[in-house]
Amino acid sequence: MSEQALRFMQSVKDKADRGELLYVGESPARVDGLEKVMGSPVYTADLLPRDTAYAKLFLSPVPHGVIKEIDASAALTSRRVIAVLTWRDIPGLNESAAVLPDRQLYASTVVRSTADIVGAVVAETQQAAADGARSVKVVCDPLPAVFDPLEALKPGSVRVHPGGNVARQMRIRKGDIERGFSEADVIIENTYRTQFQDAAPMETEMGFALPSRDGAVTVIGSMQSPHHTRAAVAKVLGLPLEKVRVVQAFTGGAFGPKSDETPYDVCATAALASTKLGRPVFCSLDREESMVVHTKRHPFIIRHRTGALFDGRLTAGEVEMVSDAGAYASLGVYVLGRATFHAMGAYEFPNVKVDSYLVYTNNTYAGSLRGFGGPQAAFAIECQMEELARKLNMDPLELRLKNMLRDGKRTATGAPVESCGLPQCVDRVVRSSRYLERREEYRGQAGSVRRGLGMAFLIHGNSLGPEGNDYGAVILEIKRDGTVVAGTGLTEYGTGAVSGLLQVAASVLGVPLERFRLDRPDTSRHRETGPTVASRTVVIGGNAAKVAAEKLRKRLGLVAADIMKVREERVAVVDGMALDTAGEAPPVPWSTLVQEAYSRGVKMWEEGYFMAPPAPWDTETGLGTPYLQYTWGALILGVEVDMETGCYRVTDVHVAYDVGRAVNPSGIMGQIYGGTVQGLGYATMEELIHRDGYIVNPSLTDYYIPTSLDIPEEFKAYIVEEPGPLGPFGAKVIAEPPIVLPAPAVRNAILDATGVSVNELPIAPEKVLKGLRGR
Amino acid sequence: MSKHFVVMTINGEEKGFYVDSTDRLIDVLRERFGLKSVKEGCGTGDCGLCAVLLDGRLVNSCLVLAPQCGGKAVVTLEGLLQDPIMANLQAKFLKHNAAQCGFCTPAMLLAAKQILDRLPTPTREEVASAISGVLCRCTGYYPIIEAILDASREAEAAP
Amino acid sequence: MPEFDMYVPRDLRDALKFLEEEGKRTTILAGGTDLVPRLKRRQVVPQVLLDISGLQGDLRYIRREGDVLRLGCLTTISDVLESELLGGGLGMFKQAAQRFGAPQVRNVATIGGNVASATSSEDFIPVLLSLRAKVKLLNARGERSLPLEELIVGKRALARAPHELLSEVNFQVPHGNFWSGFEKLGRRNSLAIALVNMALFLALEDDLETVKDVGIALNRVSGKVPQRALEAEGKLKGQSLSPSSISLAQSALASELNLKGDYRASGWYRTEVALVQLRRLLESCYVKARGG
Repeated sequence: MSEQALRFMQSVKDKADRGELLYVGESPARVDGLEKVMGSPVYTADLLPRDTAYAKLFLSPVPHGVIKEIDASAALTSRRVIAVLTWRDIPGLNESAAVLPDRQLYASTVVRSTADIVGAVVAETQQAAADGARSVKVVCDPLPAVFDPLEALKPGSVRVHPGGNVARQMRIRKGDIERGFSEADVIIENTYRTQFQDAAPMETEMGFALPSRDGAVTVIGSMQSPHHTRAAVAKVLGLPLEKVRVVQAFTGGAFGPKSDETPYDVCATAALASTKLGRPVFCSLDREESMVVHTKRHPFIIRHRTGALFDGRLTAGEVEMVSDAGAYASLGVYVLGRATFHAMGAYEFPNVKVDSYLVYTNNTYAGSLRGFGGPQAAFAIECQMEELARKLNMDPLELRLKNMLRDGKRTATGAPVESCGLPQCVDRVVRSSRYLERREEYRGQAGSVRRGLGMAFLIHGNSLGPEGNDYGAVILEIKRDGTVVAGTGLTEYGTGAVSGLLQVAASVLGVPLERFRLDRPDTSRHRETGPTVASRTVVIGGNAAKVAAEKLRKRLGLVAADIMKVREERVAVVDGMALDTAGEAPPVPWSTLVQEAYSRGVKMWEEGYFMAPPAPWDTETGLGTPYLQYTWGALILGVEVDMETGCYRVTDVHVAYDVGRAVNPSGIMGQIYGGTVQGLGYATMEELIHRDGYIVNPSLTDYYIPTSLDIPEEFKAYIVEEPGPLGPFGAKVIAEPPIVLPAPAVRNAILDATGVSVNELPIAPEKVLKGLRGR
Repeated sequence: MSKHFVVMTINGEEKGFYVDSTDRLIDVLRERFGLKSVKEGCGTGDCGLCAVLLDGRLVNSCLVLAPQCGGKAVVTLEGLLQDPIMANLQAKFLKHNAAQCGFCTPAMLLAAKQILDRLPTPTREEVASAISGVLCRCTGYYPIIEAILDASREAEAAP
Repeated sequence: MPEFDMYVPRDLRDALKFLEEEGKRTTILAGGTDLVPRLKRRQVVPQVLLDISGLQGDLRYIRREGDVLRLGCLTTISDVLESELLGGGLGMFKQAAQRFGAPQVRNVATIGGNVASATSSEDFIPVLLSLRAKVKLLNARGERSLPLEELIVGKRALARAPHELLSEVNFQVPHGNFWSGFEKLGRRNSLAIALVNMALFLALEDDLETVKDVGIALNRVSGKVPQRALEAEGKLKGQSLSPSSISLAQSALASELNLKGDYRASGWYRTEVALVQLRRLLESCYVKARGG
C-alpha cells in the first residue's frame, strides 16, 4: 500500500472518527437535474395517448345558493361531447375534502363559493370540453352571503355551513395575563391584516386516468401526495384502495395547493370519466381556473395587545386571530394551529393569551400555502415589536435582542428552547447588512428619497407537530449493476428535498449521489409515507432513508470485511469503495462488493421507516411541546422610498437560517432565494381580490408575482448550523421558512424610512403615500 | 373555422401541414410535433413558459396563430441540443442549481441563448432584462442569472 | 378559442381588397399580443381575422422624410427600441419601449396594434399623442390622413371605416432645442400595465428659457383612453420654466384630470403620481433641452 494511499485511508478514518459525513454538506447535482436542463422530464400533460378524452370542470355561478337545475343540453348537442358528469354520476362518496368532511366533489344542492365544482364535461378534444363546460347552465336560487370573517363571527350572520361559521378555534393560556398587563409600563394595541395569496406554481393542476379491465384505474398527475390522492379517488369511485393506482408525474411546482383538494378534484374527475367511458381521460385546469379553484393563503386579521416594561422586557401578550377560511376548511384546520403556536414569534412572553378562529365565509376557500399560517403570524408579531420599539424609543434590534428566545428560555406554549441558532443568525445579518453603521448614516436624512432598514426574526416549528402522525418510508434497492434505486411516496416538485433525502442515504452507504436513481412515486410500489408537506422530506424522510441505508451498509460492511479478511470495524465505504482503514488489505470496488453480496444471497434491498415521537400539547391550555425542534432565522433588508409617490424598492436583503445541519447547501440556497422572492411578492405586490365572492383578478395578467427585474440587487444568505434532535445529522426544515420574514421586514423598513405604519398587506405604494399625506 | 396549409421550418426541418385558423403555434409544436419542452403556463402571454425562437426572435408561442407562420423558422430547446452555446448553458444551469421544478427551464434557456447570441458578455442587468418575460416561482431568479453570467464568462474565456 | 375564419393576404393590395369586400365582419390581426388573449377569454368573438403580419415589406419601417418621421403599422416595439432614428430628443420612444411588456412581447407587438387597441393600457398612444401624430388609413381606392386624437373616439373605438387599414403613424419631429421623456407607474418592473403614464416633449426657444412648444399626454385624463393634457400644455406655452410655472401647470393638470380608481389604485393616487410625473419630466427635459 503506497504512502499516499495510507494517508488517504487515515484521513477517511479520521473523518469518520470525528463524526463527519461524506456527502452531507456537499452540493452534488440533483438526481433529476440533468433531465430538467435537457427539457425532457415528462409532466402530466406530456404523456397523453391518442384516444384520450378531455374533461373540463364547470363551477358555481354564485357565491352562495341552492342549485335548482343543471342544464347541460347545449353541451350535449355537440358531436364531440361524450358525457356530462354531475353528483348523480358518483358511484362512491361525493366528497373531496382534505380534513373536515365539509366539501363535496360536485355540488348537489348548496353551493358555497364561486370555486365550487358542479360537474365536468367530457369531450373528444380539449376545446370541445371547454366549450361544453362553458355552455352548461347552472341555475341557482341565490342565498344571502357573507364575505367578511368578522361579520361571519357575529351572531345572526349568514351560516355558510349548518354547524355555524367557526370551523375551529384554539387558545393558549400561559401565566396570568391580567397580572402581566398590570405590571406593564406601556401597553400598545394594533390590528394587522393580511391578504389572499396565490401559490402560482408554473404548472397548474391536472390529472390523467387510464382504466383497466378489472375495474381498476391508474391515475397520473401533478400532486404532492399520491397516497392521499389515491384515498380520495377511491372514495369517490367507491373502489377499494388496491384498485386505484396513483403515480406522481414530474410536477412543475406546488407550494401547497397540490397537497389539498384540487388534485383530488381533477384526478377523481379523470378517474370517474375514464372508468365510465373505458378510455383514458385528461382533466386539467388552465391558469384562470386554477387561480379560482385551488386553495389560497388564508387572510388573517390579527389584533395584538402587548405590555412591556420601560427597559423593553415583555410582560404580557394578548392576541386574537381571525382567519378567513373561505367556504371550506381544508388544511385551514392546521394552518390555524401553526399560526396560533407562532403568534408570539421568536420572543419570550411570560404571560400569554391567544384566541384564534378559523371562520367560514362565502369567499373561495383557503388551505395550504408555503409557510402555512407562519407568515401571517410573523407579520403581526414583528410589526408589533417594531411599534413597541418606537413607543419605548428603543432601537428595534435592541428590543428584539432583549426578548428573543435562546437556549434555556421557554416558548409561548411553555416548551423549553434548545439548539437555538437564532443568536448566530442575528449576528450574521447585523454584520452583513452593516445595520449599526447604516443606522448612523440614515440619521437625520432628508430629501425626496429616504432609506430605511427593517428586520424580522424567525421561529418555525418543525414538521407536522401535533397535526398528525409524522412518519416516512423509503425503500432502497441496490441493483446488480451497483445502481441504488430509491423509492418513496414523498414527492419532488422543485424543492430538491428528495435529492437531499437521498444524499443522506448516500452518505450512510458511502456511495456518491450519481449512483442513485429515483423512482416515480407510485402507490402500487411505495408505502404510505404521509403527505409531502411541512418541509418534512429531509427531516422525516431523511431519517427513514437513513434507517434503510444503515441496514444495507451493515450487511455490505460484513461482506467487505469478509472479502478483505479484516474485522468489520476496520471497513469504511467511501465513494463506492470499501477500504481497510488500517491500510493493509487492498480496497474492494463497489461493483465487486455488490456482485459478491448478490452471489452470497445477501438481501440487497431494505425499507426504512421513521416516525417522529409525538408532540404533546394540551388543547385546553394550548401549552405543551407542539414541535420537537425549531428552525430559526433572521432577516434584515434595506429599502429606498420615493417620498413623492410612495414607490419603494428593496435594495439589499441579508438572511441567515439555522438549518441544523446543511445536507445540501446548494439546495438550501435555492429554497432561500426562491422563498424570499415569493415572500417579497407577498409583501409588495401579490393580492387575490374578492368582490362579493368573485375573484376579480384570477389571472397572471392581473395578479402580479415578481419578475427578474423585481428582485433586490444585493442578496446575501448565510447558513447557520445548530444541530437539532429530530432530523438526520441534526437537520432542520428549510423549504418553507424563507417565505416568512420578508413581509414584516419590508413593512418595518418602510416605517423606519418614512414614519408610516402600513398594517395591511400587500404594501402598495399608495398605502405608503396615504400615510405620508396623513390620509 | 378555416383550414390553412402552412409550410415552415421546425428545428431545422421543413414541414408542410394543415392547421385550423384557431390553432396556436404552441398547439402545433406540442401536439403535432411532440415538442413537449414548450410549456403552457397561462395562455395569455403573461408567463413566457411557451417562448420559442421564431425567425431568431423570442416570442410567446401561445399568442401566435398557426396560419401566421408560413415561411417562418421556429426553434425549440429540442432543436438546440447540439448547439455548443446551449450545451454550455445547460451545464451552467446544472452547476448553479438553476432548475428546481424545471417547468420554466426550457423558456429560460431559450431566453439565455437569445441574449448570448446577441451580447456575448452581457451585464447582470442585461441578463435580468433578457429573462424578464419568463416567470419562475421556484428559484427567485438569482441562480438563473448566475448561470447565464457564468456561461458568458466561459464563452469569453474560450478562444 | 371561439371559432373564426382567417384570411392570410398575398400582399397589401389583396388585403385592402379583402377589407373592401369583407371589412364589416373582419378583425385585423397583427402581432396578436392584445387580440389573442382577448380571443382566449372570449372578450371578442370575430367572424374572420385578416392576418396582416406577413406584409412586412409594405408596412414595417421607420423612416425619416424631411422632418416627418414615419412608422409603419407593423413596426414592432423591439424595432423602436433598436432604432437610431428614435433616440436623442425622441428618447421617450425608447423609454416607453423599455418599459413595455417583456422581451417576447416587444418582439411581436406592433405600433399599429398598440394604436388600434385604443385603451389606456397602450403605452405608445400617449407618446404619439404628445407629438400630435397623424395616422394614415389605406383603402382599396386610396388613403386619408387624420390626427391620432381624432382616430380614437373611445375605449376600443376608432374612427376607422371597416374597409380601411391603419397603415402608418407619423409626426413632425420638433425643431431646435427639444427633449422628451416617458414615465410609467406600474406595480412591478416587467409585464406591467401602467396605472399612470405620461409622455412629454418640451421645445425651448433660442433663449433656452421660454417654452416654445410642449406636448403632454397621459394614458388617461378625463375618460378611458389616452388624451393630451391641454390645460397643462396651455399653462406652459410661452412661459419661462420655473418652479412657479411648473406649479401652475400641475394645478392645471390636477383640474383637468378626472381619474377613476379601481382595485389596483385609487383615482386620488393616480392623480398625485401624475402631478409628480409632470414635474419630473418637465425638469429633466428642460435640463436636456438646454444641453445638460
